[in-house]
Amino acid sequence: MMVSQTKAKKSVWKRSLDARTALLYLLPSILLFSVFVFYPMFRTIYLSFFLTDQNGNAALFVGLENYTYLLESVAFRNSIKATFLFVLYTVPTGIIIALILALLANEKLKGIGFFRTIYSSTMGISVAASSVIWLFLFHPSIGMFNKLLNIFNLPQVEWLLDPTWALLSVSLSTIWLNTGFSFLILLGGLQNIDEHLYESARIDGASYWYRLRRITIPMLSPTLFFIVTISLINAFQTFGQIDILTKGGPSQSTNLIVYSIYKEAFVNYQFGTASAQAVFLFICILIVTILQFKLGERKVHYQ
Amino acid sequence: MKKKFKFAYLYMLLLSLIALAACTNSESNTSEQNEENKENNEVVTTEEGKTVISFWHAMSGVGQTSLDSIVADFNASQDKYEVQAEFQGTYEESLTKLRSVGGTKDAPAITQVFEVGTKYMIESGFVEPIQKFIDEDKYDISQLEGNILNYYTVDDELYSMPFNSSTPVMLYNKDAFKAAGLDPEKAPATFSEVIAAAAKLKTDDMKGFSMLTYGWFFEQLVATQGGLYVNEENGRAGDATEATFNGEEGLRVFEFLDTMNKAGTFGNFGTNWDDIRAAFQSGKVAMYMDSSAGVTGIINNAPFEVGVAYIPYSDEAERKGVVIGGASLWMSKGIAEAEQKAAWEFMKYLTTPEVQAKWHLETGYFAINPSAYDEAVVKDAWGKMPQLKVTVDQLQSTEPSIATQGALISVFPESRQQVVTALENLYQGMSPQEALDQAAEGTNRAIEIANKTK
Repeated sequence: MMVSQTKAKKSVWKRSLDARTALLYLLPSILLFSVFVFYPMFRTIYLSFFLTDQNGNAALFVGLENYTYLLESVAFRNSIKATFLFVLYTVPTGIIIALILALLANEKLKGIGFFRTIYSSTMGISVAASSVIWLFLFHPSIGMFNKLLNIFNLPQVEWLLDPTWALLSVSLSTIWLNTGFSFLILLGGLQNIDEHLYESARIDGASYWYRLRRITIPMLSPTLFFIVTISLINAFQTFGQIDILTKGGPSQSTNLIVYSIYKEAFVNYQFGTASAQAVFLFICILIVTILQFKLGERKVHYQ
Repeated sequence: MKKKFKFAYLYMLLLSLIALAACTNSESNTSEQNEENKENNEVVTTEEGKTVISFWHAMSGVGQTSLDSIVADFNASQDKYEVQAEFQGTYEESLTKLRSVGGTKDAPAITQVFEVGTKYMIESGFVEPIQKFIDEDKYDISQLEGNILNYYTVDDELYSMPFNSSTPVMLYNKDAFKAAGLDPEKAPATFSEVIAAAAKLKTDDMKGFSMLTYGWFFEQLVATQGGLYVNEENGRAGDATEATFNGEEGLRVFEFLDTMNKAGTFGNFGTNWDDIRAAFQSGKVAMYMDSSAGVTGIINNAPFEVGVAYIPYSDEAERKGVVIGGASLWMSKGIAEAEQKAAWEFMKYLTTPEVQAKWHLETGYFAINPSAYDEAVVKDAWGKMPQLKVTVDQLQSTEPSIATQGALISVFPESRQQVVTALENLYQGMSPQEALDQAAEGTNRAIEIANKTK
């Protein structure tokens, strides 16, 4: 009996050798993730069941009240709507523009390096700095855009002050800002496509559009999939532009969930409701990402 | 069998989490120990034996330059103390930072906190009321401006030392007044006068009146009619439980703005101070409300003659005056006594007439010590820029009352956001009462939570 038990133990110990080695290698990242991701995440979930006192400590257990309050709150529903609209405005447009630019810049022409640098240059500008520039472009009385409209005798637009325009204006600056990164990744993807594929297609007499549809897009699909995922997550988490351009206004029209979380937590010091919003955002991103992997990945062609 | 091991690893993962959590706990334990040792802790000193204290402030631009030179003068004026002024971002940002170190020995000896943070600071337990030092030192507080002390005095105790104080004023374009056939020396005083003047001033390029979309101006327009912001005597008799700014005084303000907005004479330039100032300077609006601290800059930069007037009040009410805005200096609790002493000496230095005269002229903030206005430099400057005096007159003619003392609630920043949203909704066509009621409801919820978790 005893013998067999030790034998079993020994074999367990032996059999888990690989797993233990793996764990050892994983240990550094597990540690870092625990400190910077897992612990804050569990803490957020924990806090979302409480009302916090003025120092942000959990003070009063309220169960799911924070969540029910949020779902009933007009302001929060408005935030959800604004967030989804913002994602809708920025992600497809941004990727299409980046793709067109990448296709242009992928041609082998003299001096193409110059254009590649220009197209990807927005990557080198911080969100804060570029938002300040956009702030001046959108300025109601001395802004460039309104001056231009004036020259062509068009009516003035209150870019950041009119609730119907504000979200579009912020989206515009976001698209501009994100294009550089998407462009660079897509260009990298294009350059990885085997030149021989195009050569044989050309010999077969395939037109440019045919080549684009049958070779470029399928071969680029892993890169596209990556950039769509990243852009979606980024769009959901947009903060800097909002903080500088509109501060969530006017009439809450640009109060995206992340900004709403920030205001709730660091201006109002309601860490409980802020945490509940954060959990909600997490679930949203999770669902979108899962859907994407389930639906989108089928169309991705890996070599 | 395999599944079992997966669980074992999950268990290990959880264990490591707990270990981490334990780590953070032990850390906080040590800081508590530090706090206990603090009674006999050492004070930071320079090589020459000066006591070093830090001073967190939120002054940027002109204010920072002026403050830095005042601090340098103080450090040079004596050989016992060395103040290190540190810019910590906006009022909101520096308050957020203070929340993480408040009450420990790492807290700065002096922190500058905006006026609406007053109630929060009192309740935080981070601070030593300044009254303690006034009593110990037999400091003559009566030399300071009564209307400013009024705001920071709670339950007959002065909690913080007033420092940079400002009030709202109405600025107007005198050239535009002349062009519209209005008397440039006589600014409109009541709501209906402003509405009438705005209608006359409006041209294709220029709106008549504007106000920054910021809760502070709304509070002022309510207070100047004698209206209260919250119940319990504006939160000064006890913890406020309900917002009252959606009453008749608040409604008059919203109707005043709504009338002009509907008539097309009101210009909405958003929530950014620079935007509305640029609009005024570039002739896009003829009258607007600004902080007294911004007056000097506007007068110097505007390409036309600028008039400064009292803020307008309702025709149905009497003018009661203005509530003080700006910030005050708070002394930390839990730091060494020698550091508190140094902080107190610095605060006393700040209130001297010479320093206040310099501060008033360089920044446009009030002198908290009115004898500064008798200094020759101030008299000279007023001779050149008589508009500056208007701001001081408005403050000094304010009738002390609960309304003009200002409301005291801990959730003021949140309430201000609610008012901003209400104003924005109003400009989009929501009815004045509905917009106000929404803001009051939001404020009530914030107050309720704050009272519950206290």
